[in-house]
Amino acid sequence: MSDLELVRLAREGDESAFAEIMRRYSPRVFRFAGRYFRQRSQIEDAAQEVFLKAFTQLSSFKGSGSLEGWLTRITANTCLNLLRSSKRRLELTAADLNQEDSEWIADKVANVSNERHKAREQSLIAADLAGRVLETLSPDDQLVLTLIDGDEASVREVAEITGWSESKVKVQAFRARRRMRQAIEKLLGSKKEGQLALEGAVKR
Amino acid sequence: MKDMHIIDLVDSKKHTRLSDSERSTISSHIERCVDCRKAYEAANIAAALLEEHASRIVEPSPFFQTRVLSGLREQQSVNSWGFGRLWRAAGPLASSMVATVIALVVLTFAVPDNPTVDSYSLSAYSAEEVILDQDAAMDFPASDGQVLTTLYDDELETTR
Repeated sequence: MSDLELVRLAREGDESAFAEIMRRYSPRVFRFAGRYFRQRSQIEDAAQEVFLKAFTQLSSFKGSGSLEGWLTRITANTCLNLLRSSKRRLELTAADLNQEDSEWIADKVANVSNERHKAREQSLIAADLAGRVLETLSPDDQLVLTLIDGDEASVREVAEITGWSESKVKVQAFRARRRMRQAIEKLLGSKKEGQLALEGAVKR
Repeated sequence: MKDMHIIDLVDSKKHTRLSDSERSTISSHIERCVDCRKAYEAANIAAALLEEHASRIVEPSPFFQTRVLSGLREQQSVNSWGFGRLWRAAGPLASSMVATVIALVVLTFAVPDNPTVDSYSLSAYSAEEVILDQDAAMDFPASDGQVLTTLYDDELETTR
């Protein structure tokens, strides 16, 4: 059954049609929401809100674009609103890193072969660390960075999802990249300072 | 010396999208510029973190659909319950307002109209009649003596 047919049935109150829409697109919604929230419960809450909104706004879906695109726009807006309403972490310092995080960064700085990072565990560590660094950025920065630098989305695609102009997307991406880079530089700086302090204490 | 152009170049795009010539420009510059080297290292780490972040896959739980569908039913029942509660609370007020409107409509259209100017004209004098009456009165003018008798008749009786 086509997406349009499912939407028509769901609009008439057919619950099984809406369940089919969810079955088709919940992986996409989860993947998208998973970029912005680290905890599984937060991702599920966001995805649930997306589908509840989608159900109440089904009448506004005219079928001129794809249902996936329409749901992605709702997901982006929902995630942005949830991020804006949540408390933002001010900055990430070396004190917030555990040993695994520090090792991952040290390997990366030392340009250790990528083979090691392919390990699942290492990926999880990096993904979690990325989430914590991203939490220090504004919701708009998070959105544009994860879409362009993470998902390799084009400027045009991001403009369609967010409703921003393409020039705004480009400027936002540049600034977001700079802020993320500065956050990591700060983190590395505080890490080095911590190490120096530790070495000094050991020598004494 | 800090070359801002290199930092701008580093921030302008994801490091994997840099061209070979851009990479060589950066490499030669960061050999002599500590600040830019730090910035480039941090940018590399940021890119690697974002790549790992993007590869993270979160699957919906098996109960997700059930959860959303029950949420939908709850939302619908809240909406209908909300309307019912509103009706129960505002019902008497709405009913009395409707009754008032009906009463006003009945009074406006069903009850006979108030006397109009025409009906007044049947019982009252027209301006023309008043003028004619005045003329008639002028045909039989009362003398001063008749007026005084009418007004002060009692006093005249007592003085006599």
